[in-house]
Amino acid sequence: MDVTISKLPFYCVIIPLIASFCMPVLARWKKEFCAPLATLATAAVFTLTLIIGYQVITDGPLAYHVSGWSPPWGIEIVVESLSSLMISLISGICLVILVYSFVAVKFELERIVTGWYYTAFLLCLSGMIGLVISNDIFNMYVLIEITGISACALVTAKGTRMATEAALKYLLLATIGSGFILFGIGFIYMITGHLNITFIAIELAQVKDTYPIIIWTTLSFFVVGFGVKAALFPLHLWLPDAHSSAPSPSSAVLSSLVVKVYIIAFLKILFIAFGLEIFHETFIRHLIIVLAVIAMLSGSFFAFVQIELKRRLAYSTVAQIGYIFLGIGLGTPWGLAAGMLHIVVHAFMKTCLFLCAGAIAYQTGRKQVNEFAGMGYKMPITMGAFTIASFSMVGIPLFGGFISKYGLALGSLEAGLPSIILVIILSGLLNATYYFPIIGQAYFSQDDHTGHSAEQGPNKFQKDQLPISMLAPIVIVALGIIYLGIFPGTALNFINQTIATLL
Amino acid sequence: MDLQMVILNFPYFVSIILFSMGTLIVLTQPNLVKKVIGINIMETSIFLFFIAVGNAHGGVPPIFDANTPHVLYVNPLPSVMMLTGIVVSFSVTAFALALIVKLYIYYGTISAPNFMKLK
Repeated sequence: MDVTISKLPFYCVIIPLIASFCMPVLARWKKEFCAPLATLATAAVFTLTLIIGYQVITDGPLAYHVSGWSPPWGIEIVVESLSSLMISLISGICLVILVYSFVAVKFELERIVTGWYYTAFLLCLSGMIGLVISNDIFNMYVLIEITGISACALVTAKGTRMATEAALKYLLLATIGSGFILFGIGFIYMITGHLNITFIAIELAQVKDTYPIIIWTTLSFFVVGFGVKAALFPLHLWLPDAHSSAPSPSSAVLSSLVVKVYIIAFLKILFIAFGLEIFHETFIRHLIIVLAVIAMLSGSFFAFVQIELKRRLAYSTVAQIGYIFLGIGLGTPWGLAAGMLHIVVHAFMKTCLFLCAGAIAYQTGRKQVNEFAGMGYKMPITMGAFTIASFSMVGIPLFGGFISKYGLALGSLEAGLPSIILVIILSGLLNATYYFPIIGQAYFSQDDHTGHSAEQGPNKFQKDQLPISMLAPIVIVALGIIYLGIFPGTALNFINQTIATLL
Repeated sequence: MDLQMVILNFPYFVSIILFSMGTLIVLTQPNLVKKVIGINIMETSIFLFFIAVGNAHGGVPPIFDANTPHVLYVNPLPSVMMLTGIVVSFSVTAFALALIVKLYIYYGTISAPNFMKLK
């Protein structure tokens, strides 16, 4: 294999990292250059990830040893087909959101924090990509912290009372989560003496009968730690505040990508480091399934009672995280594939919904779900994208969400738990109860406010139309949802290659 | 589990107790600065745990000496990892304190129940 090709994943982490440190300096000198430079860096990373994806699918996994130290001691970067799909997803969605941010950041943030916003954004991107491709658990911990702290910075960028409060809550709970993860890493290091996942797997297979209690403790620490980070239901308390009070581009990143990368890291530790034997011998599988089922139902219930649109979307994320964990808990080929596909689909759906929410607030200033009357005529393209994403959320055929839910149903049949299908259908119906009223209102009821606001004249929140840089990302993401619904084979091909090696 | 084993492995027990204490403080104390102190206690307990993992009874510092090639060295890797851990803990503390200062400007208090409600 070519040496330069195997270095590419490393550049994917380092380019946004360097760019992020340029931002504060650049912001003091030329503030308007920050956004183009950030977009350029992300576009470069996206191109690299596409090359990596092509390379991985033709030649097999890429491995790179950072600064030439061989695996048991040095840091190893491994990109298999699932990670290559995920890094293209992360950089692609980030690119789309950055294009959207051109106008949205000027609208939602103070001018002075613009540079810092892009610093946090690129740092978050670099941390997420690193977390997905790293094969060393301590390195993973450091990247988890980078992602976590920069995600808090993205929340607090708005500087309002609510955002500061939510960011502090997020920071405290996320630090508890990473503390649990670090303790788990300590236990693993104690019984295996390795930090590289591949070597841990070899060593754990030999010592797992000697230290059963430590393995149980470690697994529970990892479930709690990654559960807090990924907002698994009883541990989700920080999520609704943080995701609803952040500026909309940040909410889109946080909700569609940041909570997912922890799940991928958890999947890697659970299935590669611990291995299938421990997964089936301990009760970890039942625990994850039970928590996921509770999350799917109660997340939707909580979403149903919210009246602020962004809070409703945030609680909906809690429910969707349940779907992904359900896929992991089932542990069958279809279950896992559907869980991973749901990460991809949900990234598109939630980005679309949050960007639409931001666009609606930008044009009309409306943030409550009962103020959507007549929105379908006022903002036809935005509401069209919103409708596509909602249909996909509910799981209507031809949209991306259907494929992953169908896959989860097949997975639960494979695992011998047909009652799970009932939960999936119930959760889908609950999704319908809180998305369809918005859409129905937008298309089928009269807007009482139009004449009223026209009399008052144009105020700060009333704009005639969306700028093209806000509209284009929404349309691209909505088309992505339809593409995933009609041709899921591309993504599933990447996912199944890795899952075949895991199971 | 005899007394000998407990005495030899007391750093582990201390770190578990400190970890529980720290987590309890973060979750139950209403004062935000106390919450940050709880976070620090929790993270320090993890550092203690890692360094205890790296320790070998009767080991010497891992500096190679040509005269005595076959002695027992202490594992330096966990200590080095904890340097990174300390940096992370420092930055989290700094960030949390900055947010608390901002909240104090908004609310005039650093007691959480006055404004942090579950919604």
